[in-house]
Amino acid sequence: MEWIDQIIQKGLKSVDEVEIFYVEGRSVSADLKQKKINLASVSEDCGLGIRTIHKGRIGSSSTNDPRHWSECLDAAIASGHLATPLPWEGLPGAQDISQTPLTFDPSMKVEPASALALLEQMLAGSEEHAAEVTAGSAGLSTATITLVNSRGVHYTDNHTGVSLSLEAIHKQSTGSEFDHSSFVDKVNPFHVGERASFFAHESAGGKEIPTGNYEILLSPLAYAELLGSVFIPALNGRNVHAGRSKFAKSLQEPVADPLISMYDDPLLPGASGSVNWDAEGMPTHRIDFIRNGVLEAFAYDLKTAYRYGKTSTASAVRGGYGGAPGIGHHNFIVDGKRSSIADERVVYVHSVVGAHTANPMSGEFSVELSNAFWMEGGEFEEPIRSAMLSGNVFSLHNEIIGISHESRSIGSLILPSVKINKQRIIGK
Amino acid sequence: MPGITYYDLRHVTGQITHIDIDNGIFESAGTTFFNKAVLRVIKNTGWGILQIDNYQPCTGRKFDELLQKACALSAITQERVCLGDVSRGVLAVPAMKEDPSSVSIEEKSAILSEIEKGAIHPSVVNRRANYIERVEQVEFLDSSGNEYAYEMCRSGFNVLAVASRNGNTQMGYEREHTIHGFNLRHHKDLGKKAADIAVALLDAKLAHGGKMKAILDPELAGVFAHEAVGHASEGDLIQEGNSVLKGKTGQKIGNDMLTIVDDPGIPEFGFDPVDSEGVAVCRTEIIKKGIVNAFLHNRESLAAVGNGVAGHARGMPGEPPLVRMSNTFIEAGDATDHEIFEECKNGIFLKGSRGGQVDPGRGVFQFNAEYGYLVKNGECTGMVRDVSISGDILTTLHNIALCGKNRKMSPGYCGKGGQSVPVSDGAPTILLCNAVVGGNGMD
Repeated sequence: MEWIDQIIQKGLKSVDEVEIFYVEGRSVSADLKQKKINLASVSEDCGLGIRTIHKGRIGSSSTNDPRHWSECLDAAIASGHLATPLPWEGLPGAQDISQTPLTFDPSMKVEPASALALLEQMLAGSEEHAAEVTAGSAGLSTATITLVNSRGVHYTDNHTGVSLSLEAIHKQSTGSEFDHSSFVDKVNPFHVGERASFFAHESAGGKEIPTGNYEILLSPLAYAELLGSVFIPALNGRNVHAGRSKFAKSLQEPVADPLISMYDDPLLPGASGSVNWDAEGMPTHRIDFIRNGVLEAFAYDLKTAYRYGKTSTASAVRGGYGGAPGIGHHNFIVDGKRSSIADERVVYVHSVVGAHTANPMSGEFSVELSNAFWMEGGEFEEPIRSAMLSGNVFSLHNEIIGISHESRSIGSLILPSVKINKQRIIGK
Repeated sequence: MPGITYYDLRHVTGQITHIDIDNGIFESAGTTFFNKAVLRVIKNTGWGILQIDNYQPCTGRKFDELLQKACALSAITQERVCLGDVSRGVLAVPAMKEDPSSVSIEEKSAILSEIEKGAIHPSVVNRRANYIERVEQVEFLDSSGNEYAYEMCRSGFNVLAVASRNGNTQMGYEREHTIHGFNLRHHKDLGKKAADIAVALLDAKLAHGGKMKAILDPELAGVFAHEAVGHASEGDLIQEGNSVLKGKTGQKIGNDMLTIVDDPGIPEFGFDPVDSEGVAVCRTEIIKKGIVNAFLHNRESLAAVGNGVAGHARGMPGEPPLVRMSNTFIEAGDATDHEIFEECKNGIFLKGSRGGQVDPGRGVFQFNAEYGYLVKNGECTGMVRDVSISGDILTTLHNIALCGKNRKMSPGYCGKGGQSVPVSDGAPTILLCNAVVGGNGMD
């Protein structure tokens, strides 16, 4: 890829610094319509993102036609002319960072046959309960990511991924389940199928619940839906300094029950978000956002850190090759003292409908419950037909009274189930 | 090529220009480029699909090699996919009043900055404005010799104001997106409107949950139609058995005055000159006078399910098309606003939308208003915030008691299967009885 060096050389004739992000990948997937494979696909992906910095002005552009890199470079430089300058102190230079991939499974075969085998195991699992499969998918992917900058960084990382999902219905009751990992032997397709048909079957014939306040147990999935769209963005340094975070003035103050700690651990073995370096080439490390309920840190990339006189926490991520990097997390973990939280009678909420409609500033939400049950002694008892859950994502963290022994990966979040005191449920 | 029942290729190239202003700072502005194609083949059974970044148009042996790769994928599928008979034709893309490409990015930035500054207010702690302009060149061909090509531009902006007082943080959000050309001019008022709403919400109360009469403004009523009916009428979900509307054709699920339509051919934000399978687009009356009338289809679901027309297949560049909504709306009725508020008497008036979601198999949906007002004796009184409504597809439509006279469409984006497509939703003002309102308010 000598064109990468050409971009750097040409760019440096016009700007102070140049950064190149290049990704090449291949993915396969197969989709079910009911129990038959309806579609098999192969995707060949490539993308080039260029960022330029000149006198504190950052420009960026991208293309998935690398042969047109010159046009892309020109667009990046032109875009920098419009940006408000900031006290930029430079891209990172090359450092002695491990180049051993943390999310690469050399045994993964990114071939249609692998996807078929996973679908068959999911379908076998779905037979455990009486429910009809409506749709499902299995996909495998591999990608090589290259980050190069004019200060001497030239890193590459290899990544693999496997993802599964199955949807089922029984009468007018739906259930779905999914799993994903960077390592093919870490997903459990049989379990995915079994859980999808379990929730469809067991949720049928649910009873109404009267309006009132209840102790609830949010599954990792339901918790992720509420946490992801409201709470985590409030820890983003740019949102904090721009005035878009409820936590803007809460540093060193309690923001959750002392039981709760939240951190990003980018070097966690086996986790799907693990990386040695962030999207700007900064060496990653653990960030303790909340320790025993007290807010201790926010996440920063270089740009936000330079603008507001802070230090990058190596939290730069890219959603793809397009555009510029932004602030995110690698493996966001909620942790704390674990206990058995399903012994006493509680309303179990598997997932919710409409979490993305929560108010991202105030945290208020009211969502419809999905696959909710009365639970006691750790067992699913009678299903709850339909109800809304109303609350506030921020304040419910002060009402958490227990977190489960087990955690689960939901995208880049690793979460336990959480038991929460007195939440408002509106029956129908 | 022997054995191939069908193939089609959809190639989309284009560029996206964006501007992001955050509290007066130009965070980023510029242009990115894309080139994506999707080749779909049926050989005896199901779809073999190649998704190709950076596609270089080819013919002869090179194209045959691509077909062969897709055939190998089709060969491992099990379901025999049939394609329904369809109409052909391409609508003209509506002319733009002012082509955004004729306006320099410097001028766009300056106008957007004025809109952002419109949100300046002593209680506003953050202002953010974004401009987005997406130009796509689309080329399509299939094994039956159908070919078309068109270019289309969608552009628009959002402005957000965040107000804060004593730890209470609220937001106002305004947006305008269009297919009719450059639309930044003469909108400075929208920055101020976003700020005014954010500041007013600081004094709004949380709504109380429970059953009540709800008046929905055209934007929210449009989202209601989209979530409550639109998704459940998508033919692929009917085919999978994942919609409560399966088998309900001819059944009455709403009042006589209720007609709900999806029409990709009207010049709103969800407009398509032709669908992603090269099929002519046309109006589908999903609910006609309260009765389940027709489903939205692609060629596959039309053949499998029937009842309706194809022309509703839409895909993001490089992605296989799915059955999607386009411009979805409740037809206007004959009630005046005065009659709607009189009939409501006591309830809640809800405005704007923060989106919604549906579980079509279970028939349960939820959607959220940006803000609202309590209605007492037919008059709007105190402002309320953070109000959701949930409902049941097969029963809630009966509770639409009145439809107003004026329908208005609002642009947005809709997600399904990991793909986001531009849509518009609309309705007149409607009165919904026995609405299940979710709110966290306490006495």
